[in-house]
Amino acid sequence: MEKGKKRIRENEEIDSVADTDANNSISLDQNLSFSDTLVALQMMRAQFPQIDKVAIQPFILQSQLYSSVKDRTQVDRELESLRRDKVVRIFKLNTGQDDHGIMFLDDYLKQVEHVVKRMEEKKQGDLEVFKWFKAHVIESKLEPSIGHQELYALLSLGGRVKDEHVSLLINAGLLTRQLIDPNMYWFAIPNIGSILKGLSQGRKELLSLLNRRRYKEMMLAPLEKKRLRLSPLDMRFHLRDLIGSGHIKTGHTPTVLNIRLMEDPRTIVTQSCDVAINAGWIVLDERRSCRRVSLIRSCMPLMSYLRGDLRCSFTFGVVAYRSAESYYQS
Amino acid sequence: MWKEIGDREMGKIRPNSFSSQIKSNRISNLQLSNNKDIVSPHRGSVNSLQVDLTEGRYLLSGASDASAAVYDVQRATDYEGNGLIAKHKCLFSVDKQHEKGHKYAISSTIWYPVDTGLFVTGSYDHYVKVWDTNTTQVVMSFKMPGKVYRTAMSPLATSHMLIAAGTEDVQVRLCDIASGAFAHTLSGHRDGVMTVEWSTSSEWVLITGGCDGAIRFWDIRRAGCFLVLDQSQSQLGRRPPVLARSAANKVNVSKSLSAGQNSLGKQRAPQKKVSNGHGMKQSTIGRMPTNGSVRQRLHPGMLSIQDRATAHYGAVTGLKVTDDGMYLLSAGSDSRIKLWDLESGYNTLVNFEVVRLQTSKAIQLAISQDSAQVFVPCMTVVKAFDVWSGKMSLTFRGHYESVNCCWFSSQDQELYTGGNDRQILVWSPCQLITDDTDAGRTKDEDNWSD
Repeated sequence: MEKGKKRIRENEEIDSVADTDANNSISLDQNLSFSDTLVALQMMRAQFPQIDKVAIQPFILQSQLYSSVKDRTQVDRELESLRRDKVVRIFKLNTGQDDHGIMFLDDYLKQVEHVVKRMEEKKQGDLEVFKWFKAHVIESKLEPSIGHQELYALLSLGGRVKDEHVSLLINAGLLTRQLIDPNMYWFAIPNIGSILKGLSQGRKELLSLLNRRRYKEMMLAPLEKKRLRLSPLDMRFHLRDLIGSGHIKTGHTPTVLNIRLMEDPRTIVTQSCDVAINAGWIVLDERRSCRRVSLIRSCMPLMSYLRGDLRCSFTFGVVAYRSAESYYQS
Repeated sequence: MWKEIGDREMGKIRPNSFSSQIKSNRISNLQLSNNKDIVSPHRGSVNSLQVDLTEGRYLLSGASDASAAVYDVQRATDYEGNGLIAKHKCLFSVDKQHEKGHKYAISSTIWYPVDTGLFVTGSYDHYVKVWDTNTTQVVMSFKMPGKVYRTAMSPLATSHMLIAAGTEDVQVRLCDIASGAFAHTLSGHRDGVMTVEWSTSSEWVLITGGCDGAIRFWDIRRAGCFLVLDQSQSQLGRRPPVLARSAANKVNVSKSLSAGQNSLGKQRAPQKKVSNGHGMKQSTIGRMPTNGSVRQRLHPGMLSIQDRATAHYGAVTGLKVTDDGMYLLSAGSDSRIKLWDLESGYNTLVNFEVVRLQTSKAIQLAISQDSAQVFVPCMTVVKAFDVWSGKMSLTFRGHYESVNCCWFSSQDQELYTGGNDRQILVWSPCQLITDDTDAGRTKDEDNWSD
């Protein structure tokens, strides 16, 4: 995958982070790349769009970081050291393509507080487990996933733990079960579900926008001004994300930057299967001489949350994959 | 180039650095060979390639139509195009028609590491067969419980002749050529084992990568694995200084470390499932519903079964150990390639810019001898990455369909790749055509020649 060379503009000063209005009006053209991961994180956090319906603190996707800082290895390493210094937290998102979301620790704690307050209003059971969670689990477990035994051990440092406490945490959206392994949980950002749905819909919309053009490319400036119909997040967010994951790339014309769709589009069969496999919804079953695809039972309720066309494409993908695989002599 | 030779003569450059400079120059010039061609008799996709380790002369390939073939890559069988293009036809090939040949696709072919008198093939018909090269007969045949994905023999072994076979069964089996029986099985994986590699620094260490995403290290003299690579444990760069490393260990309280300590300590722990390193898991404060898991008595060496760390989010599809035995490259079906430091067992967080990797089949990675470049088959192209920075340096585009395997011959700096389009392509540093035409020029038909 060859990326077009990005013009490196002057980096914004960190003082201007406070001035959110000015940042919103600066176009992507001028601050596409940064020198440092922390600077990039802070700038992108400041540029996070305001969403009215859902109260959510800013988060950044890892693919956005890859598009902003040139050296990906440096990004990985700096992110790792920031994670160890407890400046940021990394979450694995279930938008199915090995996405990771990065949130500053203060923002995450604010988000947790918000959710706890809402649960207090509804008076759902005893809420001391959230205090234990914050004090013991978040402080010491820095990885994006945690095992059942370890969760119990850490929560027990606060008091006597019951099953209902873990269910409370899951209901609040702070933990989700891993579908592949019933004993492991992912840490999750609470209240983020609708935004993640908007994220995947917005990605598809942007890619189809470029796909419909004759030469599959568009100038950056008019593209940025468009509003995505299906996603609450703004165009700049999606552009950074898709550039980082390699679906689109920036190219140069003599005067301006333009955005082009990458060649080799994935076929819908393998794409929908990959999404499903990465999200842990299906496993490849290697019995007999052909591969079968089997749905994990617990994901059936989740299927109803899938967007209509994704579900259709998923089903189509499974059927086509099955028929292809029975013929595929591997 | 001449300046370098002059410097070498003067003694300004040491011989090692001189030869590695020339080799890396040649590697950076790799392109589809314009003078060498391998004629592949296969009628199915090429799954496995290997050049023999002793002489570097014979290339062994295995394909999906149950055929395996051997080619001589240094001497051509015939020449075409006025003597310019060397065609290498296969010296022999064994396929379904052979009385004891494989019935289904061959997934892995390897030479016997000591000499080219034997080679081993593993196939989807559940058999691992050992062939005698000179008579092309099956000498020994091992039946496995499932489709064989990969076989491997240790290049360093002096005291054993074990073939490690990774199958769709969760256990890795070791087959002994000397006795014709199975030596033992290694259990610990929770799904099929797609890749198997022997360590290049110890003849007893085997590395396996499974469809569950775990990479396990086994010392075959002991039970259980002694290390499971965990992608969340990482180090920044090649190796941190000692003080930073101990700080990192405190931060990452992990099961794999405790499992490691456990099996290395080899204590006779009381068999009541609680042992020193596993205090985290066995907390007795508070009721602990086990979610259906049964508490069993486990041998202390087998406690690694409970370690569920994964190295990749999908299956591990390719493994390659560097020649010095210090680093391991692993490719996964989550389209990520990771570089692991074997001494510490940590991920070095080098990011290889891969967009997409094949997910259904195992791929064979190749690495250059000085561990500077790694060649990765990414769908229809083969990309060369710089190992330490993760940047892509070369792209080899020539196959019509996905590439499955590649092998780098460090002796001639040539890369052989095989793919689903049944072709084996040779990539070599470009050679000047004029060299050949000089030898082939017949007459000097100039007015001034005498």
